[in-house]
Amino acid sequence: MGEELNRPDPDQLLLQVEQMEETGAGKLKVFFGYAAGVGKTYGMLKAAKKQVALGKQVILGYIEPHVRPDTLALMEGFERIPTKKLHYKNMQLEEFDLDAALALAPDLILVDELAHTNVIGSRNKKRYQDIEELLRAGIDVYTTVNVQHLESLNDIIEEISQIRVQETVPDSFLSHAEMKLIDIEPEELLSRLKEGKIYRPERARKAMNHFFTKENLKLLREIAIRKAADHISMDNRIEDVYKEKRVHVRLLTCIHHLDQQGAEKCIRWTARLANAFHGEWVVLIVEKSDEETSEEEQQKRKANQVLAERLGAEVVTLIGDQPVEVITQYAKLTSVTDIIVGKYRHRFGHFKWLKQDIEDELMKRLNHVELHIIPLAEQEPRLKKEKASFKQLIPKKILLVDLFKTVGLLIAATLLSEVVTYLGIGDQNVIIVYLLFVVMISRVTTGYFYGVLASGISVILFNWFFVEPLNSLTVYKPGYPITLLIMLIGALFTSNIMIRLKNQARDSIEKEHQMSVLYDLNKSLLSTRNLTKIVQLTNEYLVQAIERSVIFYTEKPHAQQQLNILTYQNKQDYQALASGDEQGVANWVFNNHKIAGFGTDTLMGAKGHYFPVISQGKVLAVIGILIDKKQPLTYEQQNFLKMLTSQLSLALERQRLAAEQQQIMVENEKEKMRGNLLRAISHDLRTPLTGILGASSVLLEEEQQLPAELKKSLLTDMKEDAEWLIRMVENLLSVTRIDEGTMKVKKTPEAVEEVVGAAVGKIRKRFKGQSLTVKVPEELLMIPMDGTLIEQVLINLIENAIKHARSKEPVMITVKKKPDFAIFEVSDDGIGIAKERVPVLFQQLGEAREDIPVDSSRGMGIGLSICKTIVTAHGGTIEAVNKAQGGAVFRFSLPIKEGATS
Amino acid sequence: MTTTVLMIEDDLAIVNFMTAILQGNAYKVLHAAKGTEGVSMCALWSPDVVILDLGLPDQDGIDVLKNIRSWSEVPIIVVSARSDESEKVLALDEGADDYITKPFGTSELLARIRTALRHVKKKEGSAGKLSNGAFEIDFDKRFVQIEGKQVHLTPTEYKIIQLLALNIGKVLTHDYIAKEVWGPYSLENQSLRVNMSNIRRKIEVNPAEPVYILTEIGVGYRMVEC
Repeated sequence: MGEELNRPDPDQLLLQVEQMEETGAGKLKVFFGYAAGVGKTYGMLKAAKKQVALGKQVILGYIEPHVRPDTLALMEGFERIPTKKLHYKNMQLEEFDLDAALALAPDLILVDELAHTNVIGSRNKKRYQDIEELLRAGIDVYTTVNVQHLESLNDIIEEISQIRVQETVPDSFLSHAEMKLIDIEPEELLSRLKEGKIYRPERARKAMNHFFTKENLKLLREIAIRKAADHISMDNRIEDVYKEKRVHVRLLTCIHHLDQQGAEKCIRWTARLANAFHGEWVVLIVEKSDEETSEEEQQKRKANQVLAERLGAEVVTLIGDQPVEVITQYAKLTSVTDIIVGKYRHRFGHFKWLKQDIEDELMKRLNHVELHIIPLAEQEPRLKKEKASFKQLIPKKILLVDLFKTVGLLIAATLLSEVVTYLGIGDQNVIIVYLLFVVMISRVTTGYFYGVLASGISVILFNWFFVEPLNSLTVYKPGYPITLLIMLIGALFTSNIMIRLKNQARDSIEKEHQMSVLYDLNKSLLSTRNLTKIVQLTNEYLVQAIERSVIFYTEKPHAQQQLNILTYQNKQDYQALASGDEQGVANWVFNNHKIAGFGTDTLMGAKGHYFPVISQGKVLAVIGILIDKKQPLTYEQQNFLKMLTSQLSLALERQRLAAEQQQIMVENEKEKMRGNLLRAISHDLRTPLTGILGASSVLLEEEQQLPAELKKSLLTDMKEDAEWLIRMVENLLSVTRIDEGTMKVKKTPEAVEEVVGAAVGKIRKRFKGQSLTVKVPEELLMIPMDGTLIEQVLINLIENAIKHARSKEPVMITVKKKPDFAIFEVSDDGIGIAKERVPVLFQQLGEAREDIPVDSSRGMGIGLSICKTIVTAHGGTIEAVNKAQGGAVFRFSLPIKEGATS
Repeated sequence: MTTTVLMIEDDLAIVNFMTAILQGNAYKVLHAAKGTEGVSMCALWSPDVVILDLGLPDQDGIDVLKNIRSWSEVPIIVVSARSDESEKVLALDEGADDYITKPFGTSELLARIRTALRHVKKKEGSAGKLSNGAFEIDFDKRFVQIEGKQVHLTPTEYKIIQLLALNIGKVLTHDYIAKEVWGPYSLENQSLRVNMSNIRRKIEVNPAEPVYILTEIGVGYRMVEC
């Protein structure tokens, strides 16, 4: 049974495979070695040859210029993409030409040196990003990399070789790749080096002294082989299917917010562990509420956060004055399984005996969590602890208001104490009064300075005014120095506590505010029902929150697009965001599902920072933020954008689903209408066809017996029926000119008199002898319309008046001009419209009309419905009324200006 | 001498009834069911008028039209089943003399054929003067009269009327008129409407019920013979 439970669901597996195939992404094969010269490129070219033999189109994208003749020999016979020549600081550098590769779109491309950093000015900062683009375009890629370029192993390699490798590739990049280990014995590698097969002799000697020592190579080889083994074992697991059934591993790395050097080591270590266990991991930074950090520290911190994120961690920053408390709470809340902390071997703590080590405290508080301690460097870097706290004491500028408050309250305290002494209540109460006022001062002033100042002064004042001898700082009584000292400590403590309380309150208010703002946005996003509103809302909110101009793309940029730009103060920003180059960046983001533009690794030259809003693997929108070079986005703002993006993706996804549902409903409705229409038409067509068939059969079969008169009448009937059919078909054809999706027509300006004239002309031809009166405005009236359709409407209405109203008097056709509309009227003096028919007269095409048979009066059926459809598609209205003096008026209006509706 | 009509049409029912009518009206009828066949018959027999269906089984009717027009001035009447204006405009711009939309009546067909034939004669004869009902135009003196009274026209208006009168009976597309009047690169569709509205107010009794110059919605204008 247990077996059964663990067995992956075959359907799900199949689905997974299908999904993978559906994405159409290319496959990546990495030739992995432990040092230069093991033969990665050679191995790659050999493998490529095999692919050629299998009939694949293989292209050499970029191969490092080698001197090795056997490698060179292998390269022959392949098509190569010429390198792109870029100038950088007076040097001409050759780079892989990504665009050429994308344009050629071969089955397989070979790109050497995965970890390479591109020259500034290229689209992507790193070559692995180029390769990502290739894979996304569905091109298979072969590439090479050495073990020291893997991000998580970076520090270990540094320890071994004493060389810091700058060019690194995030491990996650390789997680879906096929890995081919290229391995040779270190001895052989060394002999190759000596023979000058790897580097030129002078470089080879240098290399042998530094990097290529036998010990180093052995170690590197071990790491590489182990990494490859890890990769294979990871590959063997069927991740998602088993996920719920495995014990969940969740690692937490705690970082001291001021010690970024130690942090890096902790992060890499945890990354390796998380990789091995295949667990999630979180980097937790606990910040003190009132800490001021230097620019340099902040930069380092940001670099570490970026590193952690690149290695796959979630970075959480919490604020609290008690790190242990915060860590404990967080660990309990998120059910962390392991905690990793760094520890220096020799701490030079001043209060070591006062304070317990963080790991001991954590151990005490968390029973079920495993603790890992990472030994850091021998000596703790001097954290600017004292300096920092001293700095905190002195406010950046002394505020006069606060100073006045302090002085005033101290005077008040002294006066009150005088009263207390005068009343003879006792010295101890004077101390209490001073303490009370110190608390008050701490409450009403900002920062530590005034509280501490007040503490000191109050002790002096107490001594001066209330301790024998009065009005001097000397003390006679033996106990008093102790009293004064205790008073000072008491005053300092109380003021300190007061300020902390105040800060905490302020922090929680700030956080509360941020949360409430986000909540507000979320609420308004949830209540909006259309895309334009969502865009508008987000733009307004973003501009207000981060004080920069933003652009919101809901679809890939194209020429006719309405750009959703909201500028912040500066109107010129509009041009900056709307330029073709910027749109190109947005387009890239749409295609590649990644952030790009200013402040990122891709298309860094752009003026804006662009990020995608993704839901279920689809880019629903791209938002661009115009960034001033002097003011890049802060980490908080970036975090904030991330939060916003997740909310926005929900809102957009919901909107998309709603729109889809709407679309389906419309489709269903249309389908229903089409069905009804077909039924109605076939009904309407059948009648005249039966007439024609009957009459022609009689004529053919009984030609001899029929009297000439009857023959003629049969023929006339046939002709009439055929004519009716023609008009019917014309009407139906006219409907096809209306766009099915938008129910709109293609409008061109037409002269009203021409359209009326053409319609009247056709009617005159058909009904010779019918009297018509036509009146149009004296001045030329041009109205945007589909002339043929309006002509059809007029013909239908006039014909209706002549045939069905049986009008004897002339039919009047009038056009009047109103400010925004042209009113067309067809009026007759016939029998008028039966009351019960008025509401259903213009019933839409295909609407069920069970109450009245469709062919109740032939011709009335569809003609008027078509009139209504056409007029509505023009943004006009149509109505029919009975005249008081008899007869009816059919009236329709058309907007004179484009875009107006009645 | 009898007039020869070449029918390039693939539908036999239509061919049957048209042949009956045309022969009844003393025309000699030739028939081709395919475009290629039609072109070679046109070359072989040099008919007086060609009736060309645009929907042919072997090639696009417009191509047949272009082919014949490239070496012959024979009047061509295009028969189109679709009431799509752009197709009519294209046919006219490619050199068709007239068009007729399926379904059509016999009288209409005969009238179009007569107009096309007359037009050829007019071309051959000298222009000089043209009178059409109460309407009269003198091409040499460049003036227009209605019921003997001279109509005052602007130079542009006269140019438009002259063009329509010279091509009496024939539909001229908006683009064609604009190009003839304002030059090859003009996009004066709007001005044409305005000028035409002025002309109508000068020569017609009721501009909404024109007698001389009729509008073909979406295609162009035609001066009709009264």
